[in-house]
Amino acid sequence: MTRVPTNRVSQGWHTSRMTWFAPDSVAWTAASHRLIPARLISLGVFLVPPMVAAAVFAVLFSPAWWWVVLGFALIAAWAAWITVRVVLAHAWAERDDDLLVKRGRLWRSVTVVPYGRMQYVEVTAGPLARAFGIATIQLHTASPGTDASLSGVPADDAARLRDRLTSRGEAQLAGL
Amino acid sequence: MSAGPERIYSAPREWVHVHSVSPLLGGWAAFAAVVGLWFYNGPGNSTPGEPRQWHISLMWFAIGGVVAAALAIGLGYLSWWFHTYRITDQAVEQRKGMLLRQQRQARLDRLQAVDVVQPLLGRVFGFAKITIEVAGGSKSAIQLQFLRLHDAEALRNEILALAAGFRAEVAAAREGTVALRTDEGGLRSEAEAFRLAPAPGSARTSIAAAEERPLVAVPMSRLLMSILLSWGTVFGIGMMLAFVMGSVIVGLVVPEVDIVGAIFGGGFVGILTAGAGVLSSTMATLNRGLNFRLGISRDGVRIAHGLLETTRQTVPPGRVQALHFSQSLLWRSRDWWQVVINVAGYQDNQQGVSTLMPVGTTPEALTALWSVLPDLGDTDGPGTVARALAGTGAEGGFTPSPASARWVDPWQWRRRGVRATETALLIRSGRLVRQLTVLPHERTQSLALRQGPVQRVLGLATVEVHSTKGVVKPVAHHLAVADAITLINEQAARARQRRSVQTPEQWMVKVGIAEAPDERE
Repeated sequence: MTRVPTNRVSQGWHTSRMTWFAPDSVAWTAASHRLIPARLISLGVFLVPPMVAAAVFAVLFSPAWWWVVLGFALIAAWAAWITVRVVLAHAWAERDDDLLVKRGRLWRSVTVVPYGRMQYVEVTAGPLARAFGIATIQLHTASPGTDASLSGVPADDAARLRDRLTSRGEAQLAGL
Repeated sequence: MSAGPERIYSAPREWVHVHSVSPLLGGWAAFAAVVGLWFYNGPGNSTPGEPRQWHISLMWFAIGGVVAAALAIGLGYLSWWFHTYRITDQAVEQRKGMLLRQQRQARLDRLQAVDVVQPLLGRVFGFAKITIEVAGGSKSAIQLQFLRLHDAEALRNEILALAAGFRAEVAAAREGTVALRTDEGGLRSEAEAFRLAPAPGSARTSIAAAEERPLVAVPMSRLLMSILLSWGTVFGIGMMLAFVMGSVIVGLVVPEVDIVGAIFGGGFVGILTAGAGVLSSTMATLNRGLNFRLGISRDGVRIAHGLLETTRQTVPPGRVQALHFSQSLLWRSRDWWQVVINVAGYQDNQQGVSTLMPVGTTPEALTALWSVLPDLGDTDGPGTVARALAGTGAEGGFTPSPASARWVDPWQWRRRGVRATETALLIRSGRLVRQLTVLPHERTQSLALRQGPVQRVLGLATVEVHSTKGVVKPVAHHLAVADAITLINEQAARARQRRSVQTPEQWMVKVGIAEAPDERE
């Protein structure tokens, strides 16, 4: 493997050079921002009812319950902040031979899926996603380890992207 | 089986049933016993308070059992009637199901492995079941149980010959005009080795099995020793000692307890507890490794193992997706390695089919490696692998983990490293249990680069190489970020380049031995 000496030298702690995967001339497509409200709603479904219940308890029984409400509110705010950051970090790029999928902030990952390795492409959209006009595209290879799913693809683009991926896959398909 | 002077077995081109004895070899006996027991407990005890009327109960038991057995066998025959198979030049086809008819096709150009399995009962009576693994979904394998052993072998030989690209030759051999391969007792010797009863008369298949060159056989003594020197045993002994120590302490602290009794009691309990845990893993290891033989033929790698139930696997060339070598501390002084593989298609019972070498010395492990990956793309293949197996740091051209990895991986970081040759990626790790993963570039499915918050501070990243479902999971942990990024970029390029030149289908056509088939089909 060829090493880049300058990077090796500056490979200390907190270096800004070459800290993460950033290939040149790659056009990243970010996930639709409509994914943010969709994710926040599904988050709210879990967090709002107990918060409301705690608020009712506070009014009926003891003001000490307000601390519980505050706790839930803090958790909700933190989770919402994480959700927004995760969605903003999610992006993908179609290169000539493979698809790059980028996700995560604190725990970040980049997945490289060669088109020739795709077995099939799946588009899913639940009721909430449909309401926001977005879909999820899941790429399947012969490996269960491939976690390549694109969330927050605008519904109009999803079908086109799927067809594009499928045709590229067929063109480059190789035996296992 | 009719005893003739010579019987020639051929794989069926027209739809035929699996052998008519199959429903009888199923699990009807157990079913009958369960139903019988239920009858026995149910109607026999219908009047509480009355003394149990044993003769009536036993009669119910017998009636229940017989009815259930008859029912199970009847149903078995019904589904047997609908279960047929045939082979064409392109695929093995199977039809089954009474109400829900299903037709399954295993395309030979996607063939991954053919296994012939003989359960104990099958070995006594000369029956076998055959599993044809192909690439694609979890339900793509075809399993035919049971066929006569020779029928199963005829089918396997023909599948492998067709998949290798010998189409014209197979057609000629079927008509009996030309012998595709000279059968120098190949079938008989192979079959006899695993049979309990000798076959009457002589028999051969129209297409003989490709000649096999035995590579490695694991002696029983070594297998038993390897089990004795496994972590399971160490754990068991440790457990026992812990119990004895505990008993001694209890015996000393509590004056009422007899100390000698406590030691014996504790030891006994310890043996029992540890034994139960260790036994199951030991049994699995035993079954994988007993009578283990590895050989190579033109059809690919042959793996045979089993004492009561025997399995003979054939994995055609280029079907092994990844290899993993491991050596625990206890095996190091004896220079023993275990080698496991990923083969696409093997979905369930991974452990049972994934062993390429249960326990073998370094030269034997290397032989196993060459049998599935003849060209490592390195001028000094054996040296490279040997250095990879034992080396640390940058030894042997490896890209090691940087020193900062010690904070997250204090134990293994010196052993961690990756190296790419022309044809394969080597991932080295493990200190107590030395490990090496070898993955041919063209078998890479996808790649991932990962980094957690601590790794980020330390300037580290992990590269995952995704292989097909199996026991081998190639991951290079804690590389320097720059190295990891270089690796993932280069690996993507290498995989692409190797994929374009490597196609495992019709392997004999590729090397110019078989004729290219008519592509109109």
